[in-house]
Amino acid sequence: MTAQAQSISRKQTLGSSGLLSWIMTVDHKRIGILYLVSAFIFFIIGGLEALLMRIQLAKPDNTFLGADTYNQVFTMHGTTMIFLVVMPLAAGFGNYLVPLLIGARDMAFPKLNALSYWTYLFGGIFMYSSFVYGGAPNDGWFSYAPLTEKMYSPTHGMDFWVMGILLLGLATTIGSINFIVTIIQLRAPGMSLTKLPLFVWTTFVTSFLAVFSLPSLTTAILLLLLDRQLGAHFYNTAQGGSALLWQHLFWFFGHPEVYILILPAMGIVSMVIPVFSSKPLFGYAAIVFSTIAIGFLGFTVWAHHMFATGMPTVSLLFFSADSFLIGVPTGVKIFAWLGTMWRGKLRFMSPMLFAIGFVALFLIGGLDGIHLAVVPVDWQITDSYYVVAHIHYVLFGGAIFGIFSGIYFWFPKMTGRILNEALGKWHFWIMFIGMNLVFMPMHVLGLEGMPRRIYTYGPGRGWEIWNYVETIGAFLIATSILIFIVNFFITILKAPQNDPDPWDGFTLEWTTSSPPPDYNFAEIPSVRSRRPLWDNKHPDLADWKKEEA
Amino acid sequence: MTSSSVTHPAARVSTGRIALWITLTTESVFFVTLLVAYAALRDEADWSLPHTFTRLLIPAVNTTILLVSAFMAGSAVRAVRHNDQTGLRNSLLRALLLGLVFVAGQVFEFNHAGLSIDDQAFGGVFFTLMGFHAVHVLAGVVFLALNLMRTNLGDFTSTHYEAVDLGVWFWYYVTLVWFVLFAALYLL
Repeated sequence: MTAQAQSISRKQTLGSSGLLSWIMTVDHKRIGILYLVSAFIFFIIGGLEALLMRIQLAKPDNTFLGADTYNQVFTMHGTTMIFLVVMPLAAGFGNYLVPLLIGARDMAFPKLNALSYWTYLFGGIFMYSSFVYGGAPNDGWFSYAPLTEKMYSPTHGMDFWVMGILLLGLATTIGSINFIVTIIQLRAPGMSLTKLPLFVWTTFVTSFLAVFSLPSLTTAILLLLLDRQLGAHFYNTAQGGSALLWQHLFWFFGHPEVYILILPAMGIVSMVIPVFSSKPLFGYAAIVFSTIAIGFLGFTVWAHHMFATGMPTVSLLFFSADSFLIGVPTGVKIFAWLGTMWRGKLRFMSPMLFAIGFVALFLIGGLDGIHLAVVPVDWQITDSYYVVAHIHYVLFGGAIFGIFSGIYFWFPKMTGRILNEALGKWHFWIMFIGMNLVFMPMHVLGLEGMPRRIYTYGPGRGWEIWNYVETIGAFLIATSILIFIVNFFITILKAPQNDPDPWDGFTLEWTTSSPPPDYNFAEIPSVRSRRPLWDNKHPDLADWKKEEA
Repeated sequence: MTSSSVTHPAARVSTGRIALWITLTTESVFFVTLLVAYAALRDEADWSLPHTFTRLLIPAVNTTILLVSAFMAGSAVRAVRHNDQTGLRNSLLRALLLGLVFVAGQVFEFNHAGLSIDDQAFGGVFFTLMGFHAVHVLAGVVFLALNLMRTNLGDFTSTHYEAVDLGVWFWYYVTLVWFVLFAALYLL
């Protein structure tokens, strides 16, 4: 009781504006916004790195970037987009939305929440400071041993990478524990697990994935640090170590990580599509179970990243078959989203466009993944641009489109202002076209044998035209992001409309004012179905009547 | 952390306890991964420490110290349940001091194991597993020390002692991990 009174009075004395109030905040909504803004700034940095690479590759024998700079740029691009952009963007949405969606006033541990944000920010800045201190990490985002050993990577870049990833892993672990405890403990009365909004489900499963997979990465990089700094020999084959050990440890984290990146976006899309189809989500249970299935299966497929390392046939068969299997729950979700749109009253506004873009592009990326799970095919195209096409269809076409869907959808809740719809449509179409121009030709380049991570290539291999097209596409994506930034500033400078429910939404966050008050809910809501706000608006047609019937 | 103030009244298991369980889960994955790395490396080159009586003397003494310490920690919970403040204080203090003796014993062992971290891969495995365990013991000591401070401030009663409970659970966990490591590194 006294603690509550204290925290309320602290909020009042700090006021609701000013820089200090943002630094001192333990409010989940503000921490969520801090996450989103920081991650978006890193997104721009990572995007500029991508542009540098595309300029370098636009024509053969280009000398725009040197080999070493190119290595640093692609390593930081991958590391940034995965650890500093997509994961924290998902954490930002999670922080902002989970308490609102489950009818709680804050996360279970508000101070730990602030700790995890500041640890993340420090980790990101720390990693980027390597550019000033003798060169950034340059061994790729998965940093294979023994290339990363002191002998082969003598600069401090790898040490910055290891320490940075340790901090980011710590931030994610703290955040994940907080999410799990919050979702278990703080749900509003009546909100059983079968009534949990889909985004909360995916955050829940994602958090478990992080808790179970990150220690493997932590182990891998700690051993690397000991090798580099104290002369241990974990990855040194000559002294009884094993270079392959790194790949196992890394991918035991790395594959669940793929789902850590994509599941929150799937959650966002599963919230957006029903609202803009004016229908309840089709196949709620199927989506939940396939999310859980993906969570489990995600831990059993890691060695499909290692087909080319010379594994026994039985392992190849197991990991290949298992990777096909994980396509099944993903396919179930695609059909559930299509089923939701089927015969719905569709409204093609920006959030919906990005959600549909997500479904289409993620499908392509998923099918690419199935190609790569075929062992003989993988032997041909592994480490080629085909793999680059695959990861960008799932992570850019998938995760980033899903996240933009969420940004357009919840921006009115966070700021009280709706983003300009015309600019939103321009953003979507230019990004969609640009995205396909960049990444579709990478399939061709991969099949034609262009290896990933080369800083230049000779003329006359038939690679010029596709590389040139890709560079044009990259600038289209940059243009679309610029349109979004303009849209953001135009909107944020206007007077707010403060419409609590601009999209005719279904879930609890739309019952609060826009933006919601510090305490979220004056009275903790009580829930009887998966669409509590729909029930309030349409008492005669309430979902719980059907569910109980 | 005022977790109790936001806990839903209907929740049966306390928020702090769930958080501790998940933390220990992620810690366990960490130790298991290290042990798997150990097993994988050992598969490639067979090494182990000599199984002589003198070789096992220090680790055996250390094991006993940690075990007694865990019993002391357990009696702290029994004491606070009966609102026995003196018993609580003494038990926490004893558990904590024995923990520090254990760490000192480990440092002694590190200096007399005849190994260094750059001795083939095994040196690395030995010091990494032992070192991280020792760090966890020190974290447990801090946890117990914080509880001791709060005991002196009169924070705990027979109905309000969650932090004591959680600290002792962490201490049990550290002891359990030690037994696994002892078996893996000295007895195999």
